[in-house]
Amino acid sequence: MAYLNTRARGSTGFDAIVVGSGISGGWAAKELTEKGLRTLVLERGRMLRHPEDYTTALKPPWEERYPRGRLPRAELDAHYKVQSRTGYTITESTAHLFVRDDQHPYNETQPYTWVRGYQVGGRSLMWARQSYRHSDLDFEGNAREGVGVDWPIRYADLAPWYDYVERFAGVSGQKEGLATLPDGIFQPPMDMNCVEKAFKAATESRYPERRVTIGRVANLTAPTDEQLALGRGKCQNRNLCMRGCPFGAYFSSNSATLVAAERTGNLTIRPNSIVASLIYDEKAGRATGVRVVDAITREELEFHAEVIFLCASSNATAAIMLNSTSRRFPNGMGNDSDQLGRNLMDQHSRVGASADVPGYLDTYYSGRRPNGLYIPRFRNLGDRATARTDYLRGFGYQGGAARLGWERSLPGEGFAAARKAEGPSGFGAERKAALSQPGAWSMRLNGYGEILPHPDNRVTLNRDVLDPYGLPTLTFDARLRENDRAMRKDMQVAAAEMLEAAGFKNIQTFDNPYAPGMAIHEMGAARMGRDPKTSVLNAHNQVHACRNVYVTDGAAMTSASAVNPSLTYMALTARAVAHAVEARRRGEL
Amino acid sequence: MNLRSTLAGMDRRLVLGGGLVLGSLAFTAGPVTPAIAAPAPLAWTPRALSLQQAQVLDAAAELIIPETDTPGARRAGVPQFVDRALADYYPPPERQRIARGLDQLDADARAAHGAGFAALNTEQQTAILNRHDAAEAAAGPGFFAALRDMVTTGYFTSEPGATLALRYDPVPGEYRACVPLSEIGRAWATS
Repeated sequence: MAYLNTRARGSTGFDAIVVGSGISGGWAAKELTEKGLRTLVLERGRMLRHPEDYTTALKPPWEERYPRGRLPRAELDAHYKVQSRTGYTITESTAHLFVRDDQHPYNETQPYTWVRGYQVGGRSLMWARQSYRHSDLDFEGNAREGVGVDWPIRYADLAPWYDYVERFAGVSGQKEGLATLPDGIFQPPMDMNCVEKAFKAATESRYPERRVTIGRVANLTAPTDEQLALGRGKCQNRNLCMRGCPFGAYFSSNSATLVAAERTGNLTIRPNSIVASLIYDEKAGRATGVRVVDAITREELEFHAEVIFLCASSNATAAIMLNSTSRRFPNGMGNDSDQLGRNLMDQHSRVGASADVPGYLDTYYSGRRPNGLYIPRFRNLGDRATARTDYLRGFGYQGGAARLGWERSLPGEGFAAARKAEGPSGFGAERKAALSQPGAWSMRLNGYGEILPHPDNRVTLNRDVLDPYGLPTLTFDARLRENDRAMRKDMQVAAAEMLEAAGFKNIQTFDNPYAPGMAIHEMGAARMGRDPKTSVLNAHNQVHACRNVYVTDGAAMTSASAVNPSLTYMALTARAVAHAVEARRRGEL
Repeated sequence: MNLRSTLAGMDRRLVLGGGLVLGSLAFTAGPVTPAIAAPAPLAWTPRALSLQQAQVLDAAAELIIPETDTPGARRAGVPQFVDRALADYYPPPERQRIARGLDQLDADARAAHGAGFAALNTEQQTAILNRHDAAEAAAGPGFFAALRDMVTTGYFTSEPGATLALRYDPVPGEYRACVPLSEIGRAWATS
């Protein structure tokens, strides 16, 4: 990304504008530029170049300034009060990739954890890379159960686009032949360790409806010629992905889509460009561009293009649309249905169980696999055996087994967070020698579950409280409801019973404080649907009432599914660009 | 002054390892030769702690993680790590708790042996730490447990700790899922 034009000023010389450069924006940029559209990507954060700006990627533990690379409480409280709630995102080596909460305020009617990364590449740099396809269990759920509105697409509509994005992004995984978790185009799977293999055997023998597979993760295990040509390489098993990968081994906008887009010669990327609103032409009945506040100079600029892709992330895209008022759209762009900003969803996290694993003391592993196990949804699959009476939908687990290191001597640390310090007591040479050896094995299962859309879980624009750029702030009012709470209970029980069936000991369930946003899978603020009266976007991610505006980030999601959503954003984006290019060629935009 | 400069130039491990010799020198020499009684000067300047507290820390850290077939806390720079963490990372109450605890070790030493903690021999120092360890085992974790956690953290995240006491591989390349522990030999430094 050495030759990006970062100096673009207000101009009409673009065919397309993409707002945001994360997972969705990167894909929009790649697809639009490869199809010949001169494309302007507007990113509100700073430039971040691959790989030279991964300033902490090679830092060893002894070069950390603070113990174990954790930031002092006072600094977290001052700058990362909200985002540090997740417990793992904000560290000495990663904090520079997350926004400072004190500089980017929002309002919480009820607790809402909004984790943001404002830089070129957005959160594609820090994502957990878990990449799963939605199935028709997901796409048909709302219609079958009378929840929210029906998705306007089915798996068959998206399947070729999943193929397409997986092939380019590179996803490592194991084919399982499950209808609930469709197989994809996979690079070789990562391996399970001895304890995980034993757990898999025990679980699948005791619970035939449950499958334990290795995580499907966007890290290259056998790079293709196309990936190598982009400068990407094989995963080195360092497990420091969140700092940015100097090997380009995991998929990010910076390592992959923006590189491909730049090579077309059609890409202009302008960092420090905060999109305030869309410009709507009342006569023509279409959007003609965007209004931008330069984050450095505070200048107000306008950029124009024929087609606009909103890929700013669910809540930020909703903010731009809500702030885009006109005579035609007094309540925000495309908001005839009053669904804009409603139906906020996240996924359950911070719930599951852990256990001690007896034995296996003569076995260990080498390398740090940046991935874990995955147990796909096994509840409410449509048959009697898996049906629950206490809640709709289901959940999956991510987790794995590991041997504790020297950290087991610290209170409240280790793989099973609930444990007490279990290292050898006292002090001196014997204790030092003991802590230089690996500790016992333990295993943890973290549930990720589907949260239902609810119209009263919403985000609204607050014009009375402005951010430092003079723009309205967002106010969040979302919470878990009855179905969600019932599912969290079962997520603990089902994890514990598998650990028990495997013969593990000291099983502890956990349900750590969770508020929407904490899984960092926020979605739903401008949902797709069949009916303009009840949804914001159509089956091609076009705003129903303004056809040259497409929304392809998490805002488009009609339901949440239990699987990590980013791969679906990629597929929706590529599919929407193909539609936009064709519609533009036919003069329909 | 010759002896002092010789001591200062010696490996600190040898100085403390010969604590009995030093101790007897100190006790017999009395106030006439205070330079001998004083522990060797620190090679670093404390930021959170007083010089005296830092010298107690220096001695206590090496007892918590001693030099064995791999470097101990002192050669790994752990006392500096703890002082830096107290200055930059821990909130003031924790800094004060550790400082007071180090003062207490010194006071225990003077009460029992008439000399500061850093000037005692290893057996005397060990006995004092054992009393704190035992008292906290009964009453619940206090200053000594906190100090031990800081020293342990500092050691195993130091370069000697991570690369010699543990195994560190910045770029593993492959992931091998099931390997005999004997092939690795030690715990991995990072996960």
